[in-house]
Parts: sequence; C-alpha cells; structure tokens
Amino acid sequence: MKYFIIVLLAIITLNGFAQQKANNGYQVKIVRFEELEKVLNKNDDKLYVVNFWATWCRPCVLELPEFMEVNKEHRSNQHFKMILISLDMAKDAKTLVRPFLIKNKIDVDVYLLDDNKRMNEWIPAIDKSWSGAIPATVFYKNGKKLEFIESKLNKNELEQIINKYL
Amino acid sequence: MKKIGLIIFSLLLLAGQTKVAAEKGYKIGDSATDFKLKNIDNKTVSLANYTSAKGFIVVFTCNHCPYAKAYEDRVIALNKKYSRLGYPVIAINPNDPKEEPSDSFEAMKIRAKEKGFTFPYLFDDGQKIYPLFGATKTPHVFVLNKENGKNIVRYIGAIDNNYSNPADVSQKYVEAAVDALLTNKPIAQSTTVAIGCSIKSKKK
Repeated sequence: MKYFIIVLLAIITLNGFAQQKANNGYQVKIVRFEELEKVLNKNDDKLYVVNFWATWCRPCVLELPEFMEVNKEHRSNQHFKMILISLDMAKDAKTLVRPFLIKNKIDVDVYLLDDNKRMNEWIPAIDKSWSGAIPATVFYKNGKKLEFIESKLNKNELEQIINKYL
Repeated sequence: MKKIGLIIFSLLLLAGQTKVAAEKGYKIGDSATDFKLKNIDNKTVSLANYTSAKGFIVVFTCNHCPYAKAYEDRVIALNKKYSRLGYPVIAINPNDPKEEPSDSFEAMKIRAKEKGFTFPYLFDDGQKIYPLFGATKTPHVFVLNKENGKNIVRYIGAIDNNYSNPADVSQKYVEAAVDALLTNKPIAQSTTVAIGCSIKSKKK
C-alpha cells in the first residue's frame, strides 16, 4: 500500500512537471470532462484559479489581461496556480485559440473542454448555480471548491478572492 | 385586529416572494409577464397579440454570439414545426448595443433578413424584460404554456445537447418539452443548462 502511494505521488508529480513544460509552448490541451476533473481535484495544497472562457467571448477576452497580471504576481508562489479552460470548438484549437494565446502572451496551462454533448452534466458538476454564461471563475484547493463566480472579475476583485485563500 | 395583522403579514410575505422572483428570474410554474417590444418591422409585439396560440417558444438570442448563430437554423426549424401547432417562436435580443454594437436594432434587421427569420425578432430596448425572465445568456429558451389566461413557464434552458453539430444531437430538449405539452404529458426534463454568451449590459 505504501509503495502504491509513493508511485502514485511520483506519477502526480511527474504529471505536474509535464504540464509545466507544456505551457511554455502555448499549447492547448483538448480534454473531456473526466480529464478536467482530475486537474481540478488535486490534493497538493495549491489554490487553483480556474477561468472558463472562449476567444469569441468579449467580456472573457477583456478580463484576461488582468488575470495575467494577477498571475504574474503570484506565479512564483508554489501554492498558487491559474488554469484557463477554453470553451471554443475543438477544431479551432490550433487556428484560433493558440494564436490568441501567443498574441496575448497567455502562458498558463490552457485546456479546451471538448465535451459539447454533455454540457447539461458538467455545467452543474462545476457549480449547481451556473447557468452556462461565461466568463466564469472557480477557486479550488485540495479538490474542494471555495468559490464560484459567474461574471467578469476585475483585478481587484480577483486579488481579493485570492488573498482570502492563499 | 388579529385578522388584519395576518393579512398584512401575508402581504409582506407575498411582496418578499415577488422580489426574490424578480431578482432571480422565473422558475418552472411561474407566470411570465407579457411585454411590448419593438419588432424588426418597427411594429410592437405582445404575447397577448397571439389569441389563438397555445403557448410560446421564447428564445433570447442575438446577432454576435457564435452559440446563438449556431442555433439560428434550428430556431427557424422550431418555428416552422411548432407555430402551426400553436407554439410560435418569439425571439428577443437582450443585449445593450452600446456594449455590443453588432447587436443593434439595425443589425438585427439585417441578420433577420439574411437568415430569413419567419418569427418576430424583438429588441429588449432598455433591457427590462430579460431580467424578469432571468435570462443570463444567448441562446436561452423559455417555453411558455397558456393556462387559464396566463403564460406559465414550463421549460427553461438549451435547445438541444449539441450546439456545434446539429447532426450529432441526441437530445432535443425544446422539442421534447413542446411535444409533451401538446400531448398533455409531463415534461421529462424541464430545465437544462448549456454554455452561452453572457448577456451584455452596462452593469458588468
């Protein structure tokens, strides 16, 4: 059992490194909800700031520069991690999403949730109150949801929430 | 005196409830308000105009949103299928054109003409109607059923379960809801959620 846990921890750590490497290249990882759940349910004492967005969503695109500013301030903190989840179409991952990330220097982990047919399952799974409007931002720590915001956040609002939990 | 107190108490309770309803929008079973909104032909449209309708498929939609656009043909098809069965489509653009210029009244006219809309496409000028419904995004559908002279909300949510590929839809939520109303059966799934473009208003 002990051995199993060590191996598991090693896998989780290695996975972490792999992802850190991946985001340097402005990669967009296309995932189903099950994979995303694993990313959001990590017991690693980190505060996860998870933003749902899309390139076509104007308020999302407007708030991202402020999110990046906040990320810059906290990214060296090992207890902090920002993740973006694009709801663009999977076919646009390379042609639209990646160029957008490069242009706007968005260098956090970016996933594209490609699970259109099951929106009615994963939207309530993220938060029961979520109507499906974006932007929406969720805060997690050790797999526990701390807060869910279904609206645009400015830098101050985002900082305030982060400081509550960091 | 006791009686009056009770009446006042009940009234306060009622007032409280309406306030909550107004803030959070309609729930299934609520009676929807009628409205007077300007259509793309410059005439005003109210639900009361439709004396022979059995109900309505109210679709909050707009010009700019890719999700709304992806559903335009399906909204046209819904109206084609259900208006003659007594459930016409009423489309409403809830966005503030100051926030989203491509959703201006003039742009609505152009889009409706391009797509050949066969239903009213109304402008929620001043954004008074969508908050009453509790619409938060486009597209956002409310199926209303006429019951005792009231328009009762019977379905809230998405049109179907695949916005990006109409050929790969496995659940047609709105059709199922209206079919159930037409056959006097309970609606199996009366609320659904889906990603959409948040409604653009000055506040946020």
